[in-house]
Amino acid sequence: MDSRVSKTLVRPPEAPVMVRVENISKRFGRLTALDSISFEIRQGEILGFLGPNGAGKTTAIRILTGFFPPGDGKVWIAGQDLFKDPRGGKRHIGYMPESVSLYDDMKVSEFLDFSACIKSVPRKTRAVHVREKTARCGLDSVRNRLIGQLSKGFRQRVGLAQSLIGDPDVLFLDEPTNGLDPQQIIEIRTLIRELGKESTLILCTHILPEVSMVCDRVLILNGGKLVASGTTEELEATLREQQEIYVTMGDRHRAEEGLAVLSGFPGAEQVRIVQEKNDQVYFSLFVSKGRDLRSEISRAFVERNLPLLEIRSVRLSLEEIFMKIVIREDAAS
Amino acid sequence: MKHAFTVARKDFLSYLNSWIGVFVLGFFFLMAGLFFYLLVMTYVRISMNASQSLYPSVEGLGLTRFVYSSYFLNLSVVLLFFVPLLTMRSFAEEKRHQTLELLFTYPLSDFEIVWGKYLGMVWFFELMLLPTAVTIPLVIWAGGSIDWGPVVVGYLGFWLLGTAYLSLGLFVSSISENQVVSAMLTFATLIFLWALDWVAGVMTGPWAAFVSALAPIRHYREFPLGILDLSHIVYFCFFTLFFLFLSLRAVETRNWKG
Repeated sequence: MDSRVSKTLVRPPEAPVMVRVENISKRFGRLTALDSISFEIRQGEILGFLGPNGAGKTTAIRILTGFFPPGDGKVWIAGQDLFKDPRGGKRHIGYMPESVSLYDDMKVSEFLDFSACIKSVPRKTRAVHVREKTARCGLDSVRNRLIGQLSKGFRQRVGLAQSLIGDPDVLFLDEPTNGLDPQQIIEIRTLIRELGKESTLILCTHILPEVSMVCDRVLILNGGKLVASGTTEELEATLREQQEIYVTMGDRHRAEEGLAVLSGFPGAEQVRIVQEKNDQVYFSLFVSKGRDLRSEISRAFVERNLPLLEIRSVRLSLEEIFMKIVIREDAAS
Repeated sequence: MKHAFTVARKDFLSYLNSWIGVFVLGFFFLMAGLFFYLLVMTYVRISMNASQSLYPSVEGLGLTRFVYSSYFLNLSVVLLFFVPLLTMRSFAEEKRHQTLELLFTYPLSDFEIVWGKYLGMVWFFELMLLPTAVTIPLVIWAGGSIDWGPVVVGYLGFWLLGTAYLSLGLFVSSISENQVVSAMLTFATLIFLWALDWVAGVMTGPWAAFVSALAPIRHYREFPLGILDLSHIVYFCFFTLFFLFLSLRAVETRNWKG
């Protein structure tokens, strides 16, 4: 197996693999939209799919949802080769498109019934099944309204409800909270987190805080290549050459003393006072990667009877990780 | 195949729920009624005159032959205007709303999508035809006699012509991104095909036969006269299958087009 595949195996191996992508490539004329991408998603994972515009995100999602086959490579969904038997494979997929792409001239119930027919939900249980999904997505009050007349929040829910029809194993959600108000965003996110407990979820979004809030793991695409894969912490660890530590001390008259203690540690760099406020002093220092000075610092402060209030290492936000990876990859190519 | 019917039902209902569907249904009925009325009136005038022995030669001209033959020919011209209005919706509309993307991710084959969309239009076309049959009891009620041959064969021919035009429209719709472009292009193509009949009429030489064989109206014209010719039926079947095949290919282009 390819080294790229093994690199992505970060989950404990007990959960079965639901989505397996092996070296997929796609070319449109001279443009290479996807360049030999491989990864695996295990059951119950919530995966964030990131990338700047034009990174091949849409192409990848289109291949994974069976919209078109890859030029090269293979996709297995729930153990079935998606393009050997597209109809069978697509039965395991639920796809929530961006809110605009729904049949505006159909009623909510009509549309969901249509989805259920196509997804071969047995006729006997169809009505119950549709009702259940309608209730689950909070659509009961608008069952008999035309989709075209619904607010954006409700349209989003309709999109989500149709993706749930047929109880697919893998859900693809494309910008699920796009254009919603904060209240609706919270509701949809709660729903997504609930769904993540039952099925494998792939979230395609450009709202990075959402990814760090909801997702277990992140894939980052850039220029048609898979440039990073792992949990936010893992990505952070690979990126960081230096770790920044913040120290807050209680007595501002002894600031110089504190500074001297911190500077005295071997490996501590750029020790400085960030701010002095309300009789508190804020220090910042950098240590090289893999070296954690926090316990030593606290011990030294206590020994000298310096009032230590807080000590923490600064985390990179997903935005910073994303920018760093994309910029690094752009520079490398 | 069952899923093709589901798609067809969705499209058929969507036509019924749209203002364009209602407009097409109502206006086609109005036009058909108008033509029928005018033809009957003309027939009445001529036969009155004939009974006064001014035109003894028309005495044998039957009502069915006179009215229905011209009726179906007139309707074939009306069809040129209505088919683009119907077919422009099918694929172009789904592309505009990006719902086609959703359909492609459903467990459906491309064939089921194309066939379902085509069938939905055919059903709607049949619904357009249904009210025009009201002329038959009307004629009988008024004391006229119906020569069933030309009427039944005429309907068959009109159905073949209509479904063939729809398949062409479906193909144009599948390659256009926009409804207006789809309608214009379909209309232009239909007018061109319609004009082929005239072109064939003035042409001489070996090509004349070829052009005449291509012109749909040349094949259609014999049906309203009550003449059932297998070669014409085969022509329309090929016409329809050809454009359905092209539509299927057009849908498959998403696999390599960006």
